[in-house]
Amino acid sequence: MKDKNLLKGLFLIAIALAFGLGALKYPVGKLERAGPGFFPLMVSGILFLLGAAMVIRSRFTERIPMEFTAKNIAIIMASLIGFAVLSRYLNMIAGITFLVFVSASAGTSYSWVRNALVAAVLIGIAFVFQKGLGLQLPLISN
Amino acid sequence: MEILHNLAFGFEHALTMQNLMFCAIGCVVGTLVGLLPGLGPLATISLLLPLTFSIPTQGALIMLAGIYYGAQYGDSVSAITMKIPHASSIVACIDGYQMTLKGKTGLALFTAGVSSFIGGTVAIIVLAALAPALGEVALKFGPADYTALMLFGFVCVSFVTTGSLLDGLAMCMVGVLLGQIGTDINSGVQRYTLGLPMLVDGVGLVSVALGCFGIAEITKNLDSRTERTPFSGKIKLMPTWPEFKRIIPSALRGSAVGSFLGILPGGGPVIAQFAAYAIDRKVSKYRHEIGSGAIEGVAGQAAADEAAARTSFIPLMSIGIPENAVMALMMGAFIIKGIQPGPNMIAQHPDLFWGLVASMWIGNCFLLILNVPMVRYLLSVFKIPYAVLFPSILFFCCVGTYSVNNSLEDIYITTAFGLMGYIFVRLLLDPAPLMLGFILGPMLEENFRRSLLLSRGSFTVFVTRPIAGTLIGLIAIFMLWQLIVFVRDSRKGKPIEAPAPAT
Repeated sequence: MKDKNLLKGLFLIAIALAFGLGALKYPVGKLERAGPGFFPLMVSGILFLLGAAMVIRSRFTERIPMEFTAKNIAIIMASLIGFAVLSRYLNMIAGITFLVFVSASAGTSYSWVRNALVAAVLIGIAFVFQKGLGLQLPLISN
Repeated sequence: MEILHNLAFGFEHALTMQNLMFCAIGCVVGTLVGLLPGLGPLATISLLLPLTFSIPTQGALIMLAGIYYGAQYGDSVSAITMKIPHASSIVACIDGYQMTLKGKTGLALFTAGVSSFIGGTVAIIVLAALAPALGEVALKFGPADYTALMLFGFVCVSFVTTGSLLDGLAMCMVGVLLGQIGTDINSGVQRYTLGLPMLVDGVGLVSVALGCFGIAEITKNLDSRTERTPFSGKIKLMPTWPEFKRIIPSALRGSAVGSFLGILPGGGPVIAQFAAYAIDRKVSKYRHEIGSGAIEGVAGQAAADEAAARTSFIPLMSIGIPENAVMALMMGAFIIKGIQPGPNMIAQHPDLFWGLVASMWIGNCFLLILNVPMVRYLLSVFKIPYAVLFPSILFFCCVGTYSVNNSLEDIYITTAFGLMGYIFVRLLLDPAPLMLGFILGPMLEENFRRSLLLSRGSFTVFVTRPIAGTLIGLIAIFMLWQLIVFVRDSRKGKPIEAPAPAT
């Protein structure tokens, strides 16, 4: 599976199937009075055809390997989820610190001092948002 | 004369202290964020969109528009000084960067600023004259016509922004499907909510935009790991008189091209830049210099860029259909503010409409008198290392997502869209058409279902109505042409292999 064009088609087919099969759960209705399932079913049908066309097209074109580095996106996602969880159960100051220190490991260099500074500045900005713009950020506690 | 009267009315609204301030903030912040590596207008607007929620409607729209053209200008600055192309300023990299290499950065930036001003001014006249007239035409549109028009928009955007009709259309469809998540307005059935209460109202516009454009872009930049050297050259802004004279004709040509291309479905700044550049290369008096750092190569495209950025508001505000992804995002912002863009908007909210039009010109002045002289200071954002920048951007993504509903759970949705956007980027699928599909999806469904209801379930309504029929016909011709091109190319290229069964 080193073919970007093929994977593209397959990925879209997967999305089409996910939404299309889901749409079957809802009443489809008739043409003159379409139910909630009608439109998503139709659109996923079109998407399925488009995906299939891409799969067919990929057989005629040159194969380009797909580059995918899971590391960075995993780090970023972990830092975001951690931010939300910590802000929810502890407070946003912890969330911001976690976000900065974890996400920074995706960069080219890592420095504790720099991260501490960034986190401090961002916490400051968050306080400005809270006091100045009236955003309800759970900074200290909830 | 009516236009003048209306514009005067608009200036009355735009020239209040408060709105002037919002306009200035929008322009400066937009330019600043637009300058940052890897953040084009789409990412900039989605990042700053939540900031406008707590502002009164008119101020919010004025500020958003300011952010948009500010970001557009910031983009061309980073293209000229450092050859960092965003999606929206590829052309500025060619001659603009050549001028920087020759040590004429200041001249290039000045040219871009003045040409943007000229382009913007021309476009505003077009906008003021055309939008109300087009709005009256749009009142004749029925649901079937709207359906056809949206499909036509999908086809145009897909082809223009991604170059591949198949890829772009597929992304539009994915967007439409994502727009299906939530409660169906006709029947009240909850679709694709996976039983999660946070999905009952659908996925938020900000989550989709920040995930697909913010987080995905950041991760992509992190993957490439190229450290950029900040611009450190000298900037001498004021041009000599002969240099100044060379700007004008090219900028006027660019304004005309940009104003026109900005109105067409699928049009917008990117295609306008290319067209203006191509025209300058054909007709300019200095065409032999273009490509190696000519003033015309910067002036024409910058004027077209700003002109198209403004005239692309015309279809949004007079018909109610955004013609490209940025306008789709704008439409989302309008709707969040409780304004439904469309033929009735000008009549119902004349103060909003004319105020916005007038503010665009004021924003133009801000760009010229504020941002152009300040550009050397703005460029210092490049001295911030990326390792400091990207955690901060992530933080702003989080705060932005959170502040929409004061909900931390929305951050999970944004994260999920970040992953999806990243996969799309890696598969070379452009997420811009997805945004358009996402915003238009619910409208498309409503109009489609309504036209079938009116026609008692007969699809012929899409062909027999003159407007819908013409648009559908155009789509059919276009698709046929694409198919023919594909078949011909694959014949010409290599001998056709037996198609392997789809796995």
